[in-house]
Amino acid sequence: MYYNNFKMSLTIIRQLVPPAKSFCVNNIKLRQPIVCNLYNYSTKSPVAAGSDNVLNNLTDWETLSRKKKVSKAMKAYLERAQAHDEFMKTQQFEYAIGKRHLANMMGEDPETFTQKDVDRAIEYLFPSGIYDPAARPLMKPPEEIFPARKAAEFDEAGRPHHYLFYTGKPNFFKVMYDAAENIQQAYVFEDKVIRKKATPDPNSSLNLSSSVWVTKDQLEQILVESITDLEYDNFKLVMERLASLPYAYRFKEFIEKFRKPLGSQRFALEIPKPSYDDDGRAFVTTYECLRKKARGDVTIRSPGTGKITINGKDLTYFDDVQSREQVLFPLIFTGMQNKVDVECNIEGGGPSGQSGAIRWGIAWSLRSFVDAEMLKQMQVAGLLTRDHRRRERKKPGQPGARKKPTWKKR
Amino acid sequence: MKMISNCLRQRSLLTTQILSRFNSTAIEPATTPVTEDQVAKTKPLDHPDYFRVHNLFTVKDLFDARVHYGHKEGSLNDFMRPYLYGSRLGHLIFDLDITAEHLRKALNFTAHVAYRGGIICFFNRNALNAHLVEKTALESGEYAHTRFWRGGIFTNANHQFGAVTRLPDLCIFLNTQNNILNQHTAVRDSAKMLIPTIGIVDTNCNPNLITYPVPGNDDTPSAIELYCNLFKAAILRGKEERMKFLQDNN
Repeated sequence: MYYNNFKMSLTIIRQLVPPAKSFCVNNIKLRQPIVCNLYNYSTKSPVAAGSDNVLNNLTDWETLSRKKKVSKAMKAYLERAQAHDEFMKTQQFEYAIGKRHLANMMGEDPETFTQKDVDRAIEYLFPSGIYDPAARPLMKPPEEIFPARKAAEFDEAGRPHHYLFYTGKPNFFKVMYDAAENIQQAYVFEDKVIRKKATPDPNSSLNLSSSVWVTKDQLEQILVESITDLEYDNFKLVMERLASLPYAYRFKEFIEKFRKPLGSQRFALEIPKPSYDDDGRAFVTTYECLRKKARGDVTIRSPGTGKITINGKDLTYFDDVQSREQVLFPLIFTGMQNKVDVECNIEGGGPSGQSGAIRWGIAWSLRSFVDAEMLKQMQVAGLLTRDHRRRERKKPGQPGARKKPTWKKR
Repeated sequence: MKMISNCLRQRSLLTTQILSRFNSTAIEPATTPVTEDQVAKTKPLDHPDYFRVHNLFTVKDLFDARVHYGHKEGSLNDFMRPYLYGSRLGHLIFDLDITAEHLRKALNFTAHVAYRGGIICFFNRNALNAHLVEKTALESGEYAHTRFWRGGIFTNANHQFGAVTRLPDLCIFLNTQNNILNQHTAVRDSAKMLIPTIGIVDTNCNPNLITYPVPGNDDTPSAIELYCNLFKAAILRGKEERMKFLQDNN
């Protein structure tokens, strides 16, 4: 059938002018044999009856794939994609080999050498004094270093895969569309629930307190597209709107994709467990209690009677009331003044510095014996904050650190 | 009625479609439904309504969807005068027979483009209806652009998209205005790139650069919903025929 048409067309080729280049600047004309082009251009050519000509007139991807013709754009993309794939393969191979060499160098097992171990090894072998971490020597898997690219956005016939391709940022606008769709569905569901006179389930609600929305850069990385500030603000608005709806939990997965968890809570991992001494009493020791020039350590023993020992002496170690109050304050605040024993060794500094150091040490040790609620209150009260203030130096030309000679207007 | 159906069977009478306006209170579809064997015999392009899209709607459907409401008299674009029926209490009313006429042509064209595997792109810049338009495009397997129009998408496509890009073969504007003052740049750009366009033109719109203007309401959600359903149906019919044809010939 195809061959018959080819024969017929030979006569026509002699009569008509050969067609112009089948490639125009912005519209790709798919490469076909000259036969088909002729039938497309001239409507007055002798038309044979039947479906043969209709088939030749159709420029569709099914017939294309049968004839195995690829458009120029697709060819160019395939070449580039192939080159990139080969490049990535070599990089990944080199990385794997390099990791094993590094493990051998460090004397560790190559099989169980994680990325963290790699980072440590590089830091050890190539010590760098550069301030910016990104400028220091690093060895990471190639996927992290080389930016992600988009796959072919259109098929062989030139039809884009994504329905929002012509907007230029299909992934981003798809996210916006999905968010709008979810909002509408949430409203519909809410209406249904109200009609059935039911109430929302209090257990299943979205908890967004321990996470934040992704930043603009992170979103750009997720979508592999660049976004303007305005678009990012719009994105946040829409997601906030969705998250604020009562039935937002139905779209938890969608929302979680764009939330980053905050850094782990400060004390969750850090509170030490008390050890047990010979008498079977629980105790916690805090070293490095500092305040001004005072340095010391504090030990709290748990089932106790409220005994306080400072450098072997009683609370009368401090002569002034204020220092004694500072030492007692954390115990009174938590209500543990008769429940624990305190033992501290302190040196350096004066009464204010030493008492401040002991106070911090007691509060820091009490974390292990106190519940979360009281812990929060202690934090709010400032008991757990290290006081880093030091004496400020005297400057030349001035009598003190801040004091200046009398200011004269003229 | 019999005379007209006889006339319609002849090829040369494509131009006498205008005769269907003889009854301005018509609520029946203007063309008679064509039988299956007649459809099979003629080639798609020769037939006035190969995909039978004229049966998709009636003038009453247009009225119920409030397609006949225009804007106020003060905002009338002079080029829209031929499409008006009149005005009532300061609001302009479209002549739904003319609208039906244009809409049929537009749907027919859409179905043919879909039959040939063309890329169809929907445009809408009205925030109220944009979501529905995107959904329609998604469901019909075509493309949509309801966002801010960057300058060179059509005219500088190779540079914008990085690779040699195939542009849409048909642009359907469900709203030709960008905002109250400006027309959508894509109307002019499609004309520049010789892409045929279908546009729902309201009383304040300029229909000049649009290949198949469809005078009608472009703001009311019910009207937009009707248009979306109609275009989706036309596209799906075209694609169905195409699949059938390809399967027959494989």
